[in-house]
Amino acid sequence: MRHVLLILVPVVATFAILPSVYSNHLLLFNFMIFIMLAQGVNVIYGFTGYLPFGYVGFFGAGAYGFSLMVIHLQAPPLLALPVGAGAAVVLGLFLTPLFRLSGAYFSIANLAAALAVLQVVSNPNLESITKGPYGISLSGVFNPTLAYGTALAVLAATLGLVIYLRNSRFGMALQAIREDPISAGMAGINVVRERIIAWLLSALIAGLAGGVFAWYVSVFYPETVFSGEFTIFAIVFALFGGNATVVGPILGVVILYGLYNAVGISTPQYFQLIYGALIMGLVLFLPNGLVSLLRRWGLNVP
Amino acid sequence: MLLYTLLAGLLFGLYFSLIGLGLNLVFGVMRIVNLAHGDFLMLGAFLAFWLFTLFAVNPISAIPIVFALFAVVGLPLYYLLVPRLLKARDPEMLSFILFFGLSQVIEAITTIAFGTSERSIPGVQLGIVIATVKGLFVGHKVDNGPIEIFGQTFPAAWVASGVVSGLAVLFVYLYLYRTRLGYLTRAVMVNREEAIATGINVHRVSAFAFGIGLGLAAVAGVFAPFMLGSITPAMGVEVTVTSFTVIVIGSLGNPLGTVLGGLVYGISYMFMQSYYSSWANLLPYLLLIAILLVRPSGLLGRQVRRA
Amino acid sequence: MTRYTIFALLVASMTSATAFAQGTGAPAEIKLGTLYASSGRFASISMPVHDGLKLWLEQKNAEGGVFVKAFNKKIPLKLIAYDDQSNNATAATLYNQLITQDKVDILVSDSGSVLTSVAVPIARDHKMLLIDQTGTGANFFTPDNPYIVLMSDPVSSIWPKPLADFITHDGPKLGIKRVAILYSTNDFTGTQANAVRKFIKESNSGVEIVYDEGIPTETSNYTVLLNNIRATNPDAVIELGYAPNDIAFLRNVQDSGIKPKFLFCIYPGLETELLEKNVGGAGLNYVFTYVPSSEIAYQASFGMPLKDYKAAWDKKYVDSKVEFGFNSVAGYTTGLVIESALAAANSLDQLELRKAIFSLSGKLRTLDGTFELDATGAQIGEITPLGQLILDEHEHLKFVTVWPHDVATGKPVYPRP
Repeated sequence: MRHVLLILVPVVATFAILPSVYSNHLLLFNFMIFIMLAQGVNVIYGFTGYLPFGYVGFFGAGAYGFSLMVIHLQAPPLLALPVGAGAAVVLGLFLTPLFRLSGAYFSIANLAAALAVLQVVSNPNLESITKGPYGISLSGVFNPTLAYGTALAVLAATLGLVIYLRNSRFGMALQAIREDPISAGMAGINVVRERIIAWLLSALIAGLAGGVFAWYVSVFYPETVFSGEFTIFAIVFALFGGNATVVGPILGVVILYGLYNAVGISTPQYFQLIYGALIMGLVLFLPNGLVSLLRRWGLNVP
Repeated sequence: MLLYTLLAGLLFGLYFSLIGLGLNLVFGVMRIVNLAHGDFLMLGAFLAFWLFTLFAVNPISAIPIVFALFAVVGLPLYYLLVPRLLKARDPEMLSFILFFGLSQVIEAITTIAFGTSERSIPGVQLGIVIATVKGLFVGHKVDNGPIEIFGQTFPAAWVASGVVSGLAVLFVYLYLYRTRLGYLTRAVMVNREEAIATGINVHRVSAFAFGIGLGLAAVAGVFAPFMLGSITPAMGVEVTVTSFTVIVIGSLGNPLGTVLGGLVYGISYMFMQSYYSSWANLLPYLLLIAILLVRPSGLLGRQVRRA
Repeated sequence: MTRYTIFALLVASMTSATAFAQGTGAPAEIKLGTLYASSGRFASISMPVHDGLKLWLEQKNAEGGVFVKAFNKKIPLKLIAYDDQSNNATAATLYNQLITQDKVDILVSDSGSVLTSVAVPIARDHKMLLIDQTGTGANFFTPDNPYIVLMSDPVSSIWPKPLADFITHDGPKLGIKRVAILYSTNDFTGTQANAVRKFIKESNSGVEIVYDEGIPTETSNYTVLLNNIRATNPDAVIELGYAPNDIAFLRNVQDSGIKPKFLFCIYPGLETELLEKNVGGAGLNYVFTYVPSSEIAYQASFGMPLKDYKAAWDKKYVDSKVEFGFNSVAGYTTGLVIESALAAANSLDQLELRKAIFSLSGKLRTLDGTFELDATGAQIGEITPLGQLILDEHEHLKFVTVWPHDVATGKPVYPRP
């Protein structure tokens, strides 16, 4: 409960107030999207150790689920959003067999799955269903204010979930599985079930983020919502801040995405260079992220 | 059409084997995932391009230079990155992220240095070599155009890359089975802990394997301008994904299994392109997932690798 | 009636003259906001457009600004440009930035359909007229959205008309009866393929499509596809793709020994220098392509003619890595349209600007041809004729325009030797 007051309320309040003082709402919106995605990666990687290298697949599935509901069934956005996120969860269910794979194999297979979904969605033979490579246009439901508000709600729910994971028995169980699945199993934890729940929650977060993103931008191509950059950014933000914590991913997004918007836009290649070097430095010298540094200084980081 | 597709698949498959060979060797020995593999291939391609543009070095003659240079660069790079990594709790997973960072660094530096435009080497350069070699056998001058196999004509580059891929596989085989270092390498591949216990200098063995892995990637790069249309600094990621597909199909950690992976991939890709053109790029991903799920050890694998 | 009009005009000019004298309301500068991509997959089409626009802008500022009718004086331009790195999400943020933070007077999109696409709803939402430079996606232009207007490049759905017209009119006489279409499945080339198919089918010319396949845009080797196409025995092969696709395709044609009798690709015309570097002069010889405005000396009634523009470009971008071509003309054309619109609009109101731009339709002739819009703001003038590349005795590639007949500069060579 303390975390709700200390983290969730201030973060959500900040994003609720900022639009009235700062008018580039889309930038604020993208900050929220990346906090959701970084937290989604946190849920699956931070708490179970599986790195979802095709995480954007859920984001794209959510975006398309949302858009197809709107286009084909004229669904109101607030109804289309949960259904779209449902598409991401269904994709997550389809991919549960991947948990038979360990470490890097899981990541590679997950990446392949995301790319496969992109290939299907953008295939011109499915134009009547997905609009193929010609892209989606949702001008009918375009409503940035409502979409922003909805994103705020999704953000709050995401943070609430991560706070719950951090403090609940379920979250403990997940981390126990991450540390040592065999002992965790012997201690009475249903390893398979708990993992899959975390996985589907993570897919749900990305699906909701994708749906609300589609609503907000309203015109996009398949490559836009299946762009590998979403995965990469989300993973790097989460890693940089520190996984398996509540504040780590938020810190990661605020610092790195802030830096990206301040510096990256004017000198992109140098930024990619710095980014790459930063990732390498992190893995070699600070594998547990920024929060581990804070902890080393004696701060208690939630 | 059927015969052509099949032969094309075989030839292209041989080239895919070469693309995956280095990655598989590195994985087999170190159990780390070199996500920058495609970027080393890209660098090899750029080196061949510059050797040709500045010094008119024929791509075939460039192969030994490119290989040697990358193998030599690989040794210090290994000591810089890998030993520290192997000490971590989950080196396989962390290597994935570490080499992703390296891949970003390489792509950024290449973009800053050379810009984003496409580049290539004229296809006739490989035709000349093949025609010269063929001329030695038949005793008279031969046309340097496309080459006929079983009544089907293929670009000279396909044949040249096929031959070089075959030689590269032979080279890896001889290294692993006919040299002392190769013998030790196989020992490390079978069981790293035991190898350390028996006093093998694992780092030295691994460093050599790493260097050879990079060298092979760069050699595959020499053919990239011919087989992959043109080259750009951003091409690495896609090549890496393809390489993974190839070695997963063949057998992870078994360099010679890469050949089977390459052939299966090449043939099935060409059949998809011929008969279901617009779906061709879906196939590699589905194959990869299917094989990982059904036979995680690949078609040639012996033991099942699991969590 | 006439007397009344004259009186009204007099009053109007007097009031505007007093407004001018007092200088009330006239801004110190006109803010023009745009994006460009210095890296990523759209860099090669974005940078020349951006450099062309910049050239126009700096030239105007050197003359003391552009004439703005609304304030009856010359006002300097201020360019606010951000780099979106070919990233759609970044581009969207930056368009918003231009509108909401920088409060630009004129909003110009980045080049190409993908990076323009995200700007369409944003501009509409903020009631800003989107000056769309080269985003030709057909679904941007809808009757219910007045906030977009396309500057150069015809909209994708009519762009290939000269190609289809040539094949259906002159084709049968030359012996072209069977056509193969191979296209990359993305918005740009997919729409062009749909258009070609439609034009040929509707022509009732007896020309038949014998091969029609879409392939992923990432395709990098065409050898097997070429062999399949040959099996259908076509008289003409049309390959529609992005520059890397065309490079791979033409290289494979050269290396595989397959010799189509008629070969059409988009980029040999649009990015001739780049293609020549990769494919070589021989590989482009006798290839049909669009003849870009950078190759045709249109009678420009406004702005620099091609020759002067090329000279200005070479002077300004001495050792730039950006190649002169079709896209660099497009960026300059954007500037010319904006200039003409500011000289005609009664205020800087966005819909007034739109009205001013529409008033130019069919009348404004620049080095890019005749500027002409349909009711939705899509460009239907400035069409690119069909031409053939010919390698002359100095190993230099030149364009021979073959369709439409009234601008033709020579006869097509068929079959390709």
